[in-house]
Amino acid sequence: MVNDNTNATKVQELHAPPKPIVVYGTIFVLLFLPLVLSTPLATEILIWAIFGMGFNLLLGYTGVLSFGHAAYFGLGAYSSGLAFRYLDASLPVGIAAGVLAPMLLACFIGALAIRKRGVYFAMISLAFAQMLYFMALSPLKHITRGEDGLTHIPTMAIFSFSLGKPLPLYYFVLVVTAIMLFATWRILQSPFGKLLQAFRENEERAKACGYNTTMVKFWSLVISAFYAGLAGSLNTVYLGYVPLTTLFWLTSGTMVMMTILGGKGTFLGPLVGVGVFLFLQNTISLITPRWELFVGAMFVAIILLFPGGIMGTLEEKLMAYRMKRASK
Amino acid sequence: MFEIPWNVIAMQFFFGIALGCIFVLLSSGMSIIFGLLDVVNFAHGTFAMLGAYAVFVMISLSGSFVVGLVSAVVIVGIVGMIVEFLFLKPLYGKDPLLPLLLTFGLSVAIPDLIKIIFGLIGKPVNYPEALSGTLVLGSIILPGYRLFIILFTLVALISLWLFLKRSDLGMIIRASTRDSLMVQTLGINVSRIWTFGFGLGVGLAALAGAIAAPMMSATPDMGVDMTMTAFVVTVVGGLGSLGGAIVGGLLIGLVVAFTAFVAGEYSSVSMYFCMALILLVRPRGLFGEQGRE
Repeated sequence: MVNDNTNATKVQELHAPPKPIVVYGTIFVLLFLPLVLSTPLATEILIWAIFGMGFNLLLGYTGVLSFGHAAYFGLGAYSSGLAFRYLDASLPVGIAAGVLAPMLLACFIGALAIRKRGVYFAMISLAFAQMLYFMALSPLKHITRGEDGLTHIPTMAIFSFSLGKPLPLYYFVLVVTAIMLFATWRILQSPFGKLLQAFRENEERAKACGYNTTMVKFWSLVISAFYAGLAGSLNTVYLGYVPLTTLFWLTSGTMVMMTILGGKGTFLGPLVGVGVFLFLQNTISLITPRWELFVGAMFVAIILLFPGGIMGTLEEKLMAYRMKRASK
Repeated sequence: MFEIPWNVIAMQFFFGIALGCIFVLLSSGMSIIFGLLDVVNFAHGTFAMLGAYAVFVMISLSGSFVVGLVSAVVIVGIVGMIVEFLFLKPLYGKDPLLPLLLTFGLSVAIPDLIKIIFGLIGKPVNYPEALSGTLVLGSIILPGYRLFIILFTLVALISLWLFLKRSDLGMIIRASTRDSLMVQTLGINVSRIWTFGFGLGVGLAALAGAIAAPMMSATPDMGVDMTMTAFVVTVVGGLGSLGGAIVGGLLIGLVVAFTAFVAGEYSSVSMYFCMALILLVRPRGLFGEQGRE
């Protein structure tokens, strides 16, 4: 009986939402990131971290693997890029376009496929992402500029404050990241967030309790597409152009690897995973262009040895340590 | 649009079937692996790519196309069994998404390894001389190699069918697909059957890559497109159904060939539209069992 109780607390503590200090502390640390890393790399980390938070909500907290998140990221990037370039849209309008289009796409894909079994949904989402990739590559070439990517996007400004320089841009992206980090924290505490985790743990049981699992998974996908689209449009602002690779399957795959590396289903996992991944990628590609070999091999090793990722494994170790001390 | 002579259409049909045959081999391997192991093999196309490189190496070593083809399948099949034994076995019984993720990791790493060994540029594989001619039937011209692909696929599928239906091992494989626990209870080492089944499925992928190699030459990055095609065929045909893989493969082959002819720029997109359509009309795929998806 005693054993049961400790197990219950363990599970509860493992999946408890983080304390407020973690959220504010993370934002505080991120304020000084440009002092340690180069500013462009730091900006890139934040953009991918936003993407990762949304992806983690779907994979880590809901337990749905989408292998086609590049579709939402790329569609967000292209939507804002097209709005900036052809319609002279202002920054908020462009970002709104980059967020809405992926959410609509998520509604479409979700309606078609979210009911499917896990692996089946992964395949279908990937196929839809490839569909978008090939559409942008060739049939829509006259708008998207095909393989060259969408260039000549004007430098953005917010309140007549130019985002052309790296440092102002970093702090602009940081403000957005902070908002999204806070939003994620609130979502996880909400009844909706609890439902997501209930489904991941035992979908049949949640269904038996009378919850409509399909609808909750559907909304989880749409919210996740919001994050991905936001990250995509920030990426457009950051780069000043939209590369075709934003829609490429490896972008989805990279997101999967980053999230698993950091620890799926942990609050800070995506941020840590993105940071470590991009840092490794930057370092290894200085030595050899064949960084995919190392990254792929590392990923295989993680799946086999530490499926919890960095943060998941750390949390487990911490729990084990606390249990040991408590039992003494 | 309406001025296309019938013999051109017949030739497109023929090209479509030949392309479809490659897809059939590819996806039947995927289907066997999924049916037996419940693993979606993300590295399926990567193994097809290995098959294309293996046939390139073996042909340059032996000088014979047939020897190259057979040894390519055997080599990649053995590589597949080693992969299953080392990497997939530890993951059975855990989260069903882990094998998919693991094979995804392989599909990122292996092409880079091939780039290091063989270089970035693809390796051309020559047509075997006996098959480089054409067959002329009235006003229809059929390239010999594509005819060979069709006949060869037919022979391969019939042998596969006979193997699964008539041999003892085939029977055990079919039984394990249905209920592996029961087979285990009867005293058969199912773990070994799984290893063999993975090798068989991957061998079929290698066969697809190897016979496709003379038409598109072996390149390191060909794998992902082949994986994607196998996914689409699987969704269209129905997950884990061999019949679905055959009909779906031929259908997608025809769709790609005809769109390439009518609207070239849509040729890569067409199969995804086809998939979306099937998902709307018949979500479990043409031959899928209800509830398996």
